[in-house]
Amino acid sequence: MKKQEYIHLLRNALGEILTEELSAAPNELYLALKPKALSKLPDVCSLLTKSLRGQFVTIIANDEQSIRGLFSLYYIFSLPADDLFIILRVSVDAQHREVPSISSSIEAADWFEREMKDWFGIIAFPNIRKLAVHPDWPEEVYPMAKEFNPRQTIPRVKGTFDFRHVEGEGVFEIPVGPVHAGIIEPGHFRFSVAGEPIINLDAQLFYTHKGTEKIAEGLTPQRALWLAERISGDSTFAHALAFCHAIERICAREISARALVLRTTLLELERLYNHVSDIGSIFLDVGFSVGAAMAFQLKERFMQLNEMLTGSRLLRGMAAIGGLRRYPNKSQWNALHAELATGRVEFNSFIDLAMSASTAIDRLETTGVLSHKDAYRLGIVGIAGRASGIARDFRQDHPHCSYPHLQFKVAQHEEGDVLARMNVRIDEVRESFNILEQLHRQYDHGSIAATSEYREASGHALGYVEGWRGEIVHWIMLDEHGKIYRWKITDPSFHNWRALKVAVLNNIVPDFPVINKSFNLSYSGNDR
Amino acid sequence: MSEFVYTAVVSILQLLVVLLLAPLATGIIRKTKARLQNRRGASVVQPYYDLTKLFKKEVVLPSTASWIFRFTPYIVFGSTLAIALLVPTIATPVPFHWIGDIITVIYLFAVGRFFVALAGLDTGTAFGGLGSSREMSLASIIEPAMMLAVFTVAVTAGSTDLSIIVSRLSFTPVSIIHPSHLLAFVGLFIVTIAETGRIPVDNPATHLELTMIHEAMILEYSGRYLACIEWASQMKLFVFMALIANMFMPLGIATSFSFVALAIGLGAFIVKVSILAILVALVESSNAKLRLFRVPELLMVAFVLSLLALILYFIIGS
Repeated sequence: MKKQEYIHLLRNALGEILTEELSAAPNELYLALKPKALSKLPDVCSLLTKSLRGQFVTIIANDEQSIRGLFSLYYIFSLPADDLFIILRVSVDAQHREVPSISSSIEAADWFEREMKDWFGIIAFPNIRKLAVHPDWPEEVYPMAKEFNPRQTIPRVKGTFDFRHVEGEGVFEIPVGPVHAGIIEPGHFRFSVAGEPIINLDAQLFYTHKGTEKIAEGLTPQRALWLAERISGDSTFAHALAFCHAIERICAREISARALVLRTTLLELERLYNHVSDIGSIFLDVGFSVGAAMAFQLKERFMQLNEMLTGSRLLRGMAAIGGLRRYPNKSQWNALHAELATGRVEFNSFIDLAMSASTAIDRLETTGVLSHKDAYRLGIVGIAGRASGIARDFRQDHPHCSYPHLQFKVAQHEEGDVLARMNVRIDEVRESFNILEQLHRQYDHGSIAATSEYREASGHALGYVEGWRGEIVHWIMLDEHGKIYRWKITDPSFHNWRALKVAVLNNIVPDFPVINKSFNLSYSGNDR
Repeated sequence: MSEFVYTAVVSILQLLVVLLLAPLATGIIRKTKARLQNRRGASVVQPYYDLTKLFKKEVVLPSTASWIFRFTPYIVFGSTLAIALLVPTIATPVPFHWIGDIITVIYLFAVGRFFVALAGLDTGTAFGGLGSSREMSLASIIEPAMMLAVFTVAVTAGSTDLSIIVSRLSFTPVSIIHPSHLLAFVGLFIVTIAETGRIPVDNPATHLELTMIHEAMILEYSGRYLACIEWASQMKLFVFMALIANMFMPLGIATSFSFVALAIGLGAFIVKVSILAILVALVESSNAKLRLFRVPELLMVAFVLSLLALILYFIIGS
């Protein structure tokens, strides 16, 4: 279906309440909801998700008082069948910041609505429980509103965490964190347990909030890229690339074929080392230390490979707007593929050995099940979604980089348990080796220059990649000077934290660490 | 007079062997595990350094802790030392064997466990309570399996006195390969793994509080208290290995009081314990930790093996 057909369809169903707006990228359709039709917002959204099979992607709140004298909300839906994003813009009055909540029909939007209340003061009643600011943060101080100065110190108020209390005979609470044993990011968990089975889990996150989106405002894209690399260390390149994509779409910049191949290679290398590391960590958490040690050795090799190729184990300092900062020479490129060939053999023999460890596999099977129904309801993305039978992969749905020219299969499992999430990783590692091999053949040693020059531009666009954890979506608006006006980062972790709460229910407390590890969500990417 | 010398020398040796060699056994297990993971691993004497370090460190006490918390390390250490006097290591019979038999040994361990569980609750933390509750529920299934395994050996040897069991077996080495004896060995080995908190029952190397059993109870300990508890745990594992080694392979143990016999006894003992330590490391490396609720099934295996051993003994006879 074409853009016009969608508009036609929506108008037929809902009447003249939507007007098309300008878009910088061909696969983005901006539709503004007329202010008097605000109450129809939930209907439009359910039409998009239910009848048109759109997938909820993110909500962006934006303080546009200096542009149009009001706040805007952008509801983004992905339509994988047509590689299209439908972006619904809703105007919100600066004095009465209220919109109807859509999370009763689209539960995936729940956290997004709570975040926009905490950061912008836009209320989607009744979804007002604090999420992105801690209880000691004063009411009516909205850090993402333009009038808020990030350099000031806000006096804290008294407040206690608003946990859901479960009462009953033999029910007690176990508080864990925010400081954990081992090298883990901070987050506070509150378990309500009856003996060993978990009957409720509440989490307080946002301990690693760095104000990335706020401090980037007013920076040039070239400088903000430096921040993009630091959103979540394990997805350094994916986040940086999503950022570059958004800027390149605003500036209508073409990328050379060689840069595309290398960008895809780096994305797959990031996937490779993270997946292998997670497989090891899952084994470590069930006490299968031999399996873990083997995986960590492999991970180390892949990270050294990253360093050989780029000078950084975490692929830092590679992404650049319009291409890449550095290009490997022929010998590095060939060494990479020689190493990958041996890595592939070792990975396969490691998996053969590990999968024969029956006590380890027994721990992973049926542990932490996230049913397809729950995963669909919560809009779970990435590996966690694919392990619960949700075939959602931006590499296929919204092809970017070299993916349109590559043959690969999207991994999918149905069981939704820890083993399924590990199997998705194993399948994807194998697929990554295939992709990297294809890329090796496609690499063109010719021109590296972008086919067009960088020119300052204003406007807004989406930038997205399928990172190893799931889809990473950035939305950027540049002002008339080409500086960042608004930058919204959506890490897959923000979608998936709620899956963890569902998956642990009725599991026993000692199984929590391995369930948590099987999702391996980023605190830093979630909190930003 | 010679009676007195014998008592003094063997008892002191007995204590020294357990006190000084226990950390080594732990070191061997850790080293073997490291090698199996392709790691170089810390030196086998690392546990000694760790203990020395802990003894020098300051003690931090939780503000909610009562005297139970402060006394527990000494009670655990003391009860384990008392056991060290009863279990033959390099010589048999041990001079104080008349004080108590194998049942005394089992219940001296229970005293230690009781107090550690109390101390875990005493700190008032969620993890301590979690650990204590898990420890006690597991203890209630470990104990019957352990009793049956031990009784099987006692019945075959005709006594519950450890020294007499070991002495009799060392004079009739053929009985070691008796099927009921071998089954009881496997039963007791499983019990040892469970009782001393090794994989697949508990993971002594984990940093994940939520999965811990024994470690969760002692999370709040530090300094010399932690040293006492760690050392006692190492001795407990060591004593269990000594029990297995001498009840099932009493070869080489000194049965007379002479320098040469004691030296041979010591050498044979070190070899046997090292083999067992490597065996423990192999089991730990080739298994993952079991699901908490699968542990009873494992102990049921130990129980059934011991029961079979007992039945076989009555069917086949000695």
